[in-house]
Amino acid sequence: MVSVINSEWYKLRKSKVIFLLFVAPLIGLFIGLSGSFNAIGAMNEWYEKLVVMNSTYAILFLPLISGVLASVICRYEHQEGGWKQLLALPVTRGKVFLSKYLLLILLMLAMQLMYLVSIYLVGMIEGITDPFPMDIVWKSIFGGWVATLPLIALQLWVSIAFKSFAAPFAINVIFTLPTILVINSERFGPYYPWGQPFLMMNIGGSTEDVFFVPWDQILTVVGGSFLLFFIGGYLYFLKKAI
Amino acid sequence: MEYIVETKHLTKKFGKEEAVSNLEMKIPKGEIYGFLGPNGAGKTTTIRMLLGLMRPTSGSVQLFGKDMKNNRIDILKNIGSLVENPSYYPHLTAKENLEASRKILNVPKKRIDEVLQQVRLHGVANKKVKGFSLGMKQRLGIAAAMLHQPELLILDEPTNGLDPSGIIEMRQLIQSLPEEYGMTVLISSHLLSEIDQMATRVGVVSKGKMIFQDSIETMRKFAQASIQVKVNDNEAAWRSLLANGQKADLEKESVTLQAEDDGQVAASIRYLVQQGFSIYRVQEEKRSLENIFLEMTKEEQSG
Repeated sequence: MVSVINSEWYKLRKSKVIFLLFVAPLIGLFIGLSGSFNAIGAMNEWYEKLVVMNSTYAILFLPLISGVLASVICRYEHQEGGWKQLLALPVTRGKVFLSKYLLLILLMLAMQLMYLVSIYLVGMIEGITDPFPMDIVWKSIFGGWVATLPLIALQLWVSIAFKSFAAPFAINVIFTLPTILVINSERFGPYYPWGQPFLMMNIGGSTEDVFFVPWDQILTVVGGSFLLFFIGGYLYFLKKAI
Repeated sequence: MEYIVETKHLTKKFGKEEAVSNLEMKIPKGEIYGFLGPNGAGKTTTIRMLLGLMRPTSGSVQLFGKDMKNNRIDILKNIGSLVENPSYYPHLTAKENLEASRKILNVPKKRIDEVLQQVRLHGVANKKVKGFSLGMKQRLGIAAAMLHQPELLILDEPTNGLDPSGIIEMRQLIQSLPEEYGMTVLISSHLLSEIDQMATRVGVVSKGKMIFQDSIETMRKFAQASIQVKVNDNEAAWRSLLANGQKADLEKESVTLQAEDDGQVAASIRYLVQQGFSIYRVQEEKRSLENIFLEMTKEEQSG
């Protein structure tokens, strides 16, 4: 299993797409630096930054970049018969799927941590003197990551299914863009996979829970959709004729 | 006999169409098995099932005496393969391509240099495969297949896209494998001449059915020249030959002798002369393997 992940990481590392990981945290950094939004009137200056940075990052860039990475990790397999070669090696399809998935979520975790660094940098540069709200930031960082888990499973599924690079990307963009509308809907917001990262990262939800979203919602929506997408993609890949 | 590859009633349907039907392939150890058939006969589909890339609709695949269904990983550890077009990662160099497979196969790093040397790609080891010619990609594919020194090498159309000198090199390489490493090789091709020069056993497939499977010598026997004799009364000559215990066939305008050597031919002719037949012509008709192959596949198609 480790050897398969190793091989996956090797192939991805050499593709240089890995620099994409820096894009979202960097953009977050610029957004954080570009404006001052004193209107919110929060008690802690960090909160303002978080609200502004999180919205663009979580609504747009997090789901977009995870989608692109999912496509890339399948693209070189689709291109010149890579699936054939890979699956004729002594590996099970299950392991290949799991390795690709694990690698993706680890990369997204790395991106979340870089984003955490951006948040901190913004504060340093702007000279924010308020205490760094560590617990809230962690909730946001890890919550956002947990929320991308089902989304990545879905993106991996779509990327395996479509041979073209553009198709999964287009689908991803089409579903990412309405997020800003959907998350404002009381009825659909909590169930929209692309909206979960924002809902989980957005500070100001209930602060008593571990995350900003109540546990039962996490378990049902995030957990449920994770199971659905992961098992769906997994079974699809097992059955797929190469 | 110990078979490395043995399929039983192997069948694959795509919708209603049977791409492979009731195929029984048997490959003994140490042979170079030529898997021959026209394009679209089901060669690649069969190979995909041998590698577990595709599930058979019915029937079974046994490799090294183990069933594919339950021992896929064990079996694949001992197989190297090149299926259809060469597979590779365009963004990686030749060396990196092999490294990606090596990590999974868990073989020592020096194997990469060894196989690159074997297929003569060591000079371009650090170039991106994107810019390789088809022949170079093909050789890289073979290098990848040999990385873990498998017991069985499955090569689907390995000489596709190679230039003549590349084909000769490839042939020499493949022919040396059973002797040097005790490998068994399965090679598919639609070109009989290709198989004829390498294989020790042949399986001919047409429309998904195995229509011939035996040693290459047996196949060559079909190609032996036959002697046609034209006499004044063909039928009477034929009868008198048969009565004398010599094998012969009556054709429209001649009698064909089924003689195994020159002595038999001479004896038959002498006998005919003694019987008072006027012999107009004695001619040799050669049937090439190519003709036999065409006839075999044609019969199948019209039937």
